[in-house]
Amino acid sequence: MDKQFIPRGLRRTTFGKFMAWMIPWILVLGFGLYAIYLCLAEGLFHTNMDNRFAFGLWIYLDLTVIALGAGAFFTGFLLYILRREEARAVINSAVVLGLICYSGAVAVLMVDVGQPLRAWFTFWHPNTHSMLTEVTFCLTAYLTVLLIEYVPIVLKNRKLRQIPRFLVFEFQLHKIMPVLAGVGTFLSFFHQGSLGGLYGVLQGRPFAFREALGIWPSTFFLFVLSAAAAGPSFVLVMTALVQGISKKKLVKPEVLQFLGRISGSLLLVYILVKAIDTLVWMNYTSPMVGFSAFEFYNAGSFGTWILVLEVVVLGLVPALLLVNGHMRARPLVLLGAALMTCCGVMLNRFVMTIQTLALPTLPFDAVLSYMPSWEEVATFVAVLAYGVLLYSLSFRYLTLFPQEKDIRQS
Amino acid sequence: MFPWIYEFRWTVGHIIFLGVFFTVAAVVVSTVVLALRRSKKAIADPRREALQWTSEFEDLPAVVRACRHQLSGEVKERTCHHEFDCRSCATHPQFLARTAPAIHAAAEESLCGISMPLDRYYHRGHTWVKPEGDGTFTIGLDEFGSRMIGQPDAVALPEVGSAVLANGTGWTMRKRSSDLRVLAPIDGVVVEQGGPDKGWYLRVRSEGTEPQFRHLLRGHEIRPWLVRELERLEYALSSDGIGLSLADGGELMPDLWKQSPEIDWEGVWGSMLLQA
Repeated sequence: MDKQFIPRGLRRTTFGKFMAWMIPWILVLGFGLYAIYLCLAEGLFHTNMDNRFAFGLWIYLDLTVIALGAGAFFTGFLLYILRREEARAVINSAVVLGLICYSGAVAVLMVDVGQPLRAWFTFWHPNTHSMLTEVTFCLTAYLTVLLIEYVPIVLKNRKLRQIPRFLVFEFQLHKIMPVLAGVGTFLSFFHQGSLGGLYGVLQGRPFAFREALGIWPSTFFLFVLSAAAAGPSFVLVMTALVQGISKKKLVKPEVLQFLGRISGSLLLVYILVKAIDTLVWMNYTSPMVGFSAFEFYNAGSFGTWILVLEVVVLGLVPALLLVNGHMRARPLVLLGAALMTCCGVMLNRFVMTIQTLALPTLPFDAVLSYMPSWEEVATFVAVLAYGVLLYSLSFRYLTLFPQEKDIRQS
Repeated sequence: MFPWIYEFRWTVGHIIFLGVFFTVAAVVVSTVVLALRRSKKAIADPRREALQWTSEFEDLPAVVRACRHQLSGEVKERTCHHEFDCRSCATHPQFLARTAPAIHAAAEESLCGISMPLDRYYHRGHTWVKPEGDGTFTIGLDEFGSRMIGQPDAVALPEVGSAVLANGTGWTMRKRSSDLRVLAPIDGVVVEQGGPDKGWYLRVRSEGTEPQFRHLLRGHEIRPWLVRELERLEYALSSDGIGLSLADGGELMPDLWKQSPEIDWEGVWGSMLLQA
């Protein structure tokens, strides 16, 4: 039925099977849109957040997808700036993943703010001393860049490219990609950093507060490094996942190993910096404000196991596996280590968002607890469904993995 | 954000932050505007087909972009990065110097029922060009292409007097609701069209300098190329996970699509005619 829209030389499942895959996700998205409608039309009382627990599941989702979506900027940086041709095999997929992550994050932010009609206020009346202002500006600008980067991928669709105007425009857009990749790298550096900086400047939250390097707290650099490390791993994991679901080999093994090596090297640097930062915080920053660092790990269920899990199990271990050539050459180890890297960054964002807010800041405070409402969960899952839908459509009708044709015919 | 906004005050923070932001925004907007302006210019340029070929070539699978010297066995593996235009390839003359010119007594190559006369040059998109000796050149679709596509439902040949460009659209054919682009092997101005009764062809005269055929296949290169093309066709027709399964000695049947009309023939034809 839709064969003429599927890229030449690629095989995709039948239209019926494709729709059977899509319909459940469409229903999930529809349910999420209903929850979003409730939040926007009736108010944020539909959520379980309050004035003290103001960052919940949605901000956690935002931070996580933005960290994982760093695969887009970093793959572009590798290909267009560092000229690493290995990255070409996954660049289109990385752009789509980045677009999904960032557009999903911006959409959820609009719901979280609760007043999307006033979203322009932040641009019109920016507080230039706020990390969030920088995040807002950079996110918007980078989402625009990702949309522009997505256009040539769409214009290369088998049918669209038959229109000469589209093909010529795609060609010209392709030529300016290095500029956009440079801009994307610049913007990503600052918004990833500012998201981290957001927590590092919270003087009233000694669990998150960190020493400053220049005008930026150390969390600024930790977020940049961790996102750069997790991005290639996320692209790797998603490529393997799509290979598994579609039962097709999409890239050569060297490409995945290359992503793993880059990710592992960056993760190792990140873990080193994170370890130094944690030691400084434990021995200097936290005691200076009257807290023993370990007090934070005696509150509720937030034990030291979280720190060990984040830094050692989901940080140091995958980093060592990924930098080791022999281990990396084993597909299961490679995939497992990349998955652990992604989980590590997800846990880090959980710690920074949820644990920071849950921990008491005053002697008479108790550990706050928060359980997301069904509307929050439905919105969260809707972003996931939106991502699956957009990626599935892109995978079916666009060339996300240029090597797929070569692998099939070789 | 802007000085005229209520209660806006210039501070160092504003100047740095907004300066950087507007610089980034200006870079993004100006690059997109530049791409749009270049596109508008390129669309109006009659040589935009060269650009289209560049774009198409980039997206062809590596197996299709195999160098002619790989096809003829002179090198184990080599991918073309010159859009099949050996005139711009620095290595091509070295290969020619290394290999003694093959002598072909036969008038044609024949494989799986396909005859390829050796009195002409072949483009990798399954067109040929034959010098007629009077300064004109005949261009046609080779037998491989003809058998694969069969009788077209409609053909749109360029008007006499119009120009065709090497690797640009020679003519278009319509077959089973698919529009197929047949690539021209050389530059030239159309001086004659061949209609359905005479076989579809074009006769062109080159403008200015004599056309070069260095980018086209000929003689000893035809057979290995044909073998490769048959393999490529088999892959295009094969089911996923099965790959090559045709027994040796089979013939490529005329109007091949009639044997399996359920196949995505537009995709197969396009791939074989070098459309990405």
